[in-house]
Amino acid sequence: MQNLYRQILLLVLIGFSIHLNAQKDSASQVLSTLDIQTAQLPKATTNDWKPGKSRFLLRGYAHSGLELTDEEFTFVGGSFNPLLIFRQSDRLLFEGELELELEGNELHLGLEYANMSYLLTKSLTFRAGKILIPFGTFIPNLHPAWINKFPTRPLGAGHDGILPGADIGLELRGAAYLGPVKTNYSLYAINGPQLNDGSLEAEEGGLLHYDIVPDNNKNKAVGGRIGFFPMSNSALEIGLSALYGKVGDKDSRYEDVAALLYAVDLSYVRNLPGISSVLDIKAQYSVTDVEEAEFPEPDELGEFHTFDNKSTTWFAQLSLRPAFVENKFIQNLEIAGRYSSLRTPEGAPWEVDQKQWEVGLNYWLDWRTLFKFSYRTISGEAGGHGGGAEEGGDAFFIHWAIGF
Amino acid sequence: MKKIPIVIGLFATITTAAIISSCATTSDMASLKSGAQLWGENCLRCHNAPSPETFSDTEWDVAIMHMRVRANLTEDEAVKIAEFLKTAN
Ligand code: HEC
Repeated sequence: MQNLYRQILLLVLIGFSIHLNAQKDSASQVLSTLDIQTAQLPKATTNDWKPGKSRFLLRGYAHSGLELTDEEFTFVGGSFNPLLIFRQSDRLLFEGELELELEGNELHLGLEYANMSYLLTKSLTFRAGKILIPFGTFIPNLHPAWINKFPTRPLGAGHDGILPGADIGLELRGAAYLGPVKTNYSLYAINGPQLNDGSLEAEEGGLLHYDIVPDNNKNKAVGGRIGFFPMSNSALEIGLSALYGKVGDKDSRYEDVAALLYAVDLSYVRNLPGISSVLDIKAQYSVTDVEEAEFPEPDELGEFHTFDNKSTTWFAQLSLRPAFVENKFIQNLEIAGRYSSLRTPEGAPWEVDQKQWEVGLNYWLDWRTLFKFSYRTISGEAGGHGGGAEEGGDAFFIHWAIGF
Repeated sequence: MKKIPIVIGLFATITTAAIISSCATTSDMASLKSGAQLWGENCLRCHNAPSPETFSDTEWDVAIMHMRVRANLTEDEAVKIAEFLKTAN
């Protein structure tokens, strides 16, 4: 109660002083009086200020940049992703991230994820809602613009790529020590990927789509990831992921078609005292294996064709930042290189066999804000659309990204 | 595609997870390390490690709980890292 009176009194005082100063008709004086009053405000309140159990953070990230290709030289709007985190109690957390992007003149609004976590035990957490699927490492851990070392993504990890992104479901996850070895694990059930049967666009028959509501069948896809840290300083992590489920529409000829996805990922981060630098290596290899089925032949009405519906994609990246040298400018520089490859089924209308190189020089303004200067080149074949194929050729980018 | 290896694979994953959570000791290695050391080893694995002065104590409470879930930290690790960040900010 006393608190309330004090605050009301302060507000009245501020209001009164604004009134008095306004009468003097001196703008600068109004400001300086306000400054003094507001400077006193936190002092008076923080002494008695107790944080409640329920807490909230508004964070997220944004990026945009300049892109130069054979055909274009243009500023791109990038995106703005607000992230809202609510800590409801010591055990209950909610995270929700939106994605705001300009497409043409329209604002595209996406829901990256929205889920609640309940800490069950010291080493087990239950999550429910829309989650980033813990498959491999790029999508769940590395894709935010301020974390990704490049303005571009590895092949296959784009928005319409062959790697799973987000989905709705339930998850158990956590970490524990197995003797000296740290492990982390996740088991989940989600609606699962959906098979494109080619009925609307024969060119996409056989492709898997992720993150689609509503679900197309009663079957739930189940998956998991297990990570090991063989070194006691956690520098190296090796992860194994798998995801399995039926992907065809209910009551269709594809009802029993199932897909198995699996991946191996690696992360190795350590200081190299000899060259006063931090070395960061990340890699991921993944396979998408869909049971064989017949899909409409493009351009030939009534005809069907089939192919071995197996795709593979992998990337390896390395970056080096001389974070511990004396020179402030050099400290903030980072060089990075990434190779990625995407191979989708031979004989599919969306057949892709592409390789991508990205090399970059980054300048960090702080731990989550950077400028990226990067060059990318893509070679290989991309038939039709879909399948995560990228426009081939070379491109140069200057991007900035900020995490907040 | 053969279903048997898949079923075996899933079964193996679930069993491994069950074994780990039953016989694991969350204290082992982490209990020997300080909050600063755990921060130095864990918070740079995905992104640059944030410095303690980034946030206030209450903000760290939210951010560390978020990272406990996202980056799979054990309770012991999360508590120690939070304590370190809150004393060094
Ligand atoms: C497994 C990868 C990973 C590790 C390890 C990790 N982080 Fe993060 N961190 C992320 C990702 C991914 C985001 C971005 C969240 C988003 O925007 O979806 C993030 C975001 C953050 C943010 C911004 C606010 C927020 O909560 O999103 C802070 C602060 C942060 N991390 C601190 C830490 C600290 C401290 C540690 C060490 C305990 C740590 N991180 C370890 C992946 C990681």
